[in-house]
Amino acid sequence: MVDFEALNSGLSLLFTSFTPWLIVIPGILIGLTFGAIPGLQISMAMAIFLPVTLYMNFMQAMLFLTAIFTGGSFGGSIPAILMNIPGTSSAIATAFDGYPMSRKGEHNIALGIALGSSCIAVIIGYSMLFFLISPISELVLRLGPAEMAAVIIWGITLIASLSGAEVTKGVIAGLIGLLVGTVGFGEAGVARGTMGSVYLLDGIPAIPAMMGMFAASELFKLVNTKYLVADSSARKVSVKVIFASFKRAVRYPWVILRGSFIGVFVGAVPGIGSSVANLLSYITTKRKHKEPESFGKGNPAGVIASEAANSTSEAGSMATLLALGIPGGGATAVMLAAFAMHNITGGPQFIREQTDIVYAIIFANLGQACLLIALGLVFIPLLANIVKVPMNYLIPSVLSLAVFGAFGLTGNMAGPATVMVFAIIGWLFKRFDYSVPAAVIGILLGGMAESNLIYSYQISGAQWSYLLERPITIGIIVLLFVSLMGGKLVNMLSSNVSAQADA
Amino acid sequence: MTKPARFTIHQKSDLGVLLALLCLVLWYFWDAYTASSHVLNLILIMPVTLIVLVLCVIEFISQISHRDREQPELDPVKSIVPVVSLFAGYVITLPWLGFDVGTFLFISLFLWFHGERRWQWVLGYGLCAATLMALFFSAMLPYPMPMLLLATDY
Repeated sequence: MVDFEALNSGLSLLFTSFTPWLIVIPGILIGLTFGAIPGLQISMAMAIFLPVTLYMNFMQAMLFLTAIFTGGSFGGSIPAILMNIPGTSSAIATAFDGYPMSRKGEHNIALGIALGSSCIAVIIGYSMLFFLISPISELVLRLGPAEMAAVIIWGITLIASLSGAEVTKGVIAGLIGLLVGTVGFGEAGVARGTMGSVYLLDGIPAIPAMMGMFAASELFKLVNTKYLVADSSARKVSVKVIFASFKRAVRYPWVILRGSFIGVFVGAVPGIGSSVANLLSYITTKRKHKEPESFGKGNPAGVIASEAANSTSEAGSMATLLALGIPGGGATAVMLAAFAMHNITGGPQFIREQTDIVYAIIFANLGQACLLIALGLVFIPLLANIVKVPMNYLIPSVLSLAVFGAFGLTGNMAGPATVMVFAIIGWLFKRFDYSVPAAVIGILLGGMAESNLIYSYQISGAQWSYLLERPITIGIIVLLFVSLMGGKLVNMLSSNVSAQADA
Repeated sequence: MTKPARFTIHQKSDLGVLLALLCLVLWYFWDAYTASSHVLNLILIMPVTLIVLVLCVIEFISQISHRDREQPELDPVKSIVPVVSLFAGYVITLPWLGFDVGTFLFISLFLWFHGERRWQWVLGYGLCAATLMALFFSAMLPYPMPMLLLATDY
């Protein structure tokens, strides 16, 4: 239920002075910049600027950090669209259609609709959060390790099923990714697959592996290309087209709504939410589209579906943080540190006693979405000029940037080495039709899948009947089979019915 | 009776990659098993290995039986190998050349090998890009970066 007294107090916290908003603009710009540079993470930006928040009150600190989060969530889509480098795991599905659009010279349209769908989805997501923060937090509390493991396996199966005719290879790639994600010290306290290297004891660095498999391998494929966009007339950067495409996102209300719904609820699942939400939204949109075969070749609906979900997954992860005090990922973990620096503990008590601040944070994010529109429309045309850079200059620059970024993520040479090894693996996977996204999601979530299976095993006392007591797990497993077999079953049934009708 | 179609180089390589992946998965399972055969260590690794094994067999049979399938048009490998080698050389030599000199050499050599013959551009762009990236990242990151000429931290 909405507490109107707290709502009034929250709004007055935000709007009695312009001062809190002054820190939002630099926050969004920092987020956009860090999101747009491959290798720099939103969580890194927030961690770097965390000490600055010591000089702010709690409200201002939250506004500043959520502004970085909002800017960074969208910023990650810019390299995904222009260079096929998803800045974060939540922008993976944006690259599926955004990058082919760029190759066709539709980079202005792709960036415009990505900005439009992101901003609209942030507004929808935080509006949902305003009404649903308590039910969402109750739902998250019901998720145990069995549900988490089921969601992870569902995510990988979904992405593997995207591989079209090569579903077997897609599933093989996803499962190998899962195994790679478990390299290093496991929960049993022994090291696996390290080949004696101390760098691998903590596992294979997932983000550098993602950068190698997606970006570097794609750049290898482009060595014989002169420009990212072959047609010189299509290389123009047009603010007019970006703005028109921004408005065009409104023409896909159901895609945005569906993506927002998926983003808020799946995004609330700690640790895996944002990585799976964009894929789930993309796949659902592809399935429901009248031309599913056009996805992966530059369909704007694919970009919108992914961006809507990854922008609202921010709202979902904020719900978990505010209502339960559980950070869903790196960015919300930094926010939790800001909570601690201001002697505030997130959780049910925080929601009950500081409802005005919770509402103020929600409304501040709605305001940030509007500011993101203005700042994005200024920032995007500058970055879109990348399509005018000849490939012989772009390829070594982006590869070097990926190497610097990978070093930044790991703090040692394991990062650059991972980029190199996985670039070669990614190139081989692409050449022989193994699903790169499935492998990457597997690497990202492998360790977490194993931990959750172990916790389920320990809680259940190795009894399968435990699953029968977990209706959400059963529901997810049913969804998994429906998503894998549903289409084929419907086809089989409809062909049987038509055969009987013909007879 | 028609003779079965011969395997193309691409098909042979495809089978080779499949076999390599299977070997990798089996090696990883063996490594994990010898580290500890406790159920907590193999709870994910063993079932996934078994499923991959079954899927690899299915894929192998499918590739053998569909050898007359239409082949995709692919870029020649020989145009990509020099780039991969240059990139690998860049990453491997980074601890000795540092991010500043290593990046400068990588970008300049790449430009030269890919048709840029204006040496001012080759050296100038390599120098500017490497210096800017090295300075930016060494200032932003909380730990020192290996450098040959520039300072490791700012």
